[in-house]
Amino acid sequence: MGEVVEPGVVLLAEGLEHSFGAVRALAGLSFRVAAGELYGLIGADGAGKTTALRILAGLMRPGRGTARIAGKDPADARSGVRELLGYMPQRYSLYGDLSVGENLRFFAELFCLDRRVFAERSERLLGITRLARFIDRPAEKLSGGMYKKLALACALLHRPEVLLLDEPTNGVDPVSRLDLWELLYGFVAEGMSVVVSTPYMDEAERCHRVGLLHGGRLLLEGAPERLVGGFEGVVLRVTGDLEKVERQLEGAGVIAVAPLGGSLRVVVGAEAAGPVEAELRGLGAEVERLRPNFEDLFLARAGGEGLPFDRAQGVRAEGAEEQRAQRGEG
Amino acid sequence: MTPAFRAVVRKEIRQITRDPRMIPMLVVAPVLQLIVFGYAVNFEVNRIDTVVCDGDRTERSRAIVRSLEADGTFRDIGPARDCGRIEDEVVGGRAQAAVLVPRGLSRDLAAGRPAEVQVLVDGSNPTVGRFAAVAASGAVELQGMKVLRERLERLRGLQGAEVALPALQPEPRLFYNPQMKSPLFMVPGVAAMLLLIVTTIATAMGLARERELGTLEQVMVTPVRPFELILGKVTPFVAVGLLDVLATLTVGAWVFDVPIRGSLWLLALGTLLYVFSTVGLGLFISTVSRTQQQAFMGGFLTMMPAMLLSGVITPVENMPSWLQPLAWINPVKYYVEVLRGILLKAADLRDLWLPLAALFVFGALILVLAVARFRKRLA
Repeated sequence: MGEVVEPGVVLLAEGLEHSFGAVRALAGLSFRVAAGELYGLIGADGAGKTTALRILAGLMRPGRGTARIAGKDPADARSGVRELLGYMPQRYSLYGDLSVGENLRFFAELFCLDRRVFAERSERLLGITRLARFIDRPAEKLSGGMYKKLALACALLHRPEVLLLDEPTNGVDPVSRLDLWELLYGFVAEGMSVVVSTPYMDEAERCHRVGLLHGGRLLLEGAPERLVGGFEGVVLRVTGDLEKVERQLEGAGVIAVAPLGGSLRVVVGAEAAGPVEAELRGLGAEVERLRPNFEDLFLARAGGEGLPFDRAQGVRAEGAEEQRAQRGEG
Repeated sequence: MTPAFRAVVRKEIRQITRDPRMIPMLVVAPVLQLIVFGYAVNFEVNRIDTVVCDGDRTERSRAIVRSLEADGTFRDIGPARDCGRIEDEVVGGRAQAAVLVPRGLSRDLAAGRPAEVQVLVDGSNPTVGRFAAVAASGAVELQGMKVLRERLERLRGLQGAEVALPALQPEPRLFYNPQMKSPLFMVPGVAAMLLLIVTTIATAMGLARERELGTLEQVMVTPVRPFELILGKVTPFVAVGLLDVLATLTVGAWVFDVPIRGSLWLLALGTLLYVFSTVGLGLFISTVSRTQQQAFMGGFLTMMPAMLLSGVITPVENMPSWLQPLAWINPVKYYVEVLRGILLKAADLRDLWLPLAALFVFGALILVLAVARFRKRLA
């Protein structure tokens, strides 16, 4: 197609737009991922994460824009792009009535791995995921964390260059979650590019680079520590008569309010910080400045987009994005 | 036979054998169907419960009643309780038919006056009604002829002249199924039905299941091509369906004496073309349903009219003319024609080229349409 592919860029999303009926899932999403990079696509449910990953995995064509994996169109099955791609959907996607070993073997066969290569790789993957003991267990009898590890193993058998993971840590206990991240670091160190989507802001810091996805496009992009470091707002912990405090906070300059234990976590714009602090102290509340984190950054930016606070605070509209995707399919 | 295709086939067989519901559905249901349809669906009507009221009580009236009961169509369950209200026996459901021989019948006949034997029949089941009416008029007519002959012979005796009794009688000869046995008609229909159920429903539900459970998504990011996936998924079910047909014809031959007079190769060709159509239909249904349940309902709602408008039970030619075009696009109709032609009539390619061509066209069209829709839904 005569496109210029920048050296080192293995994944490219350029102006992706997509609508499901009246619902706009993607509104001009652009980002690129380099070889050996761990990229986090962070956003609340309904932000467009799943749609973006499904387009990049070649499962659907975007309404507009360009997706490329190693310079190839992911929706073009004949380009050999499937061999370069690993994809792990958010939903359960393995055969529950087949065992761990049977699932691995089936996907290996679909990738036409020969027997020896399969034996070698599955042994290694079962080893590092610590699933070897469960090789004969049906996939539906695995715990959430083990299941995700198996799905990861199935997506890795053919040694993809680009791995797309849709909310891999969703519904996984904290210990398994750490396990998963450790696994990902290992693959990235070997030169694989990984894109992880997550609704959990605290996972942003685990990525080399993140894109904050909101309303179908990126609000912010960059290395997480740089982004947080550049945050201009002020974060306060307010303790006291919360009812009074909240009434007071309805004024200008307040970006977000969220409960924090028995206190409130209040994000305020830089200029408004002084006056707000003074007003709150006037009410007799205790006010303490906190170190901003990723979530504050997100709330500040999303709030600036006119997003109602309760939505931005991550009230999980369970499976909203997925439902939209299904509606759009029909 | 690509490796991916073989992988899908192996996976599918593994899942079928692991699913406790599958074996009964694929093996027990066909056998049950054959027995039910072979034995229970019987178009011959006999042993109709009948009450008799002989008001005449003469040699003649008894002869008429005997003649009515002679061929087994009517079964005498005893005399009517009240000859004046004999219709109550039928209305009340004690009997399906009632025979009333009026008093003075033989006297009227002897005097050369017309006489009537009344046969009341419960026509709520039209098949029973029709058989009863035909059998009754046949029996009574026979007695009428006897009366006529006796009278003519008496006249001849009086006049001393030869009186010939001309008799014009139809002599029907039934081809292919001279004893009019229902199984000969039904077994080919059952085979067509089984194949439709096993392949259409299994295809529709199998693909809907992969979509519903999300496995389709994981499979479609691998290099497997849609046709490898579809072919791989349906191959085991096609094999089961063909085995079901073979079993049906074998049991049909043994238990119900259904012959196989024509070419087995032609039978195989027709069956293959038919399977293309049923699988294509299943695939199409799966592309318009989101869940297994929808796929099952879709399959069921397609199969019912397909069976009823196929000529399996009643001939298409006897359906209202506005309904017949629906039968012309029905693969079941053509396959049943092929099956009956080969099994009963030893029909060859010259006789069957039209239904075979129709099956081919239908199969090709529905497969192309379904695969196109399947791809589009993935994209």
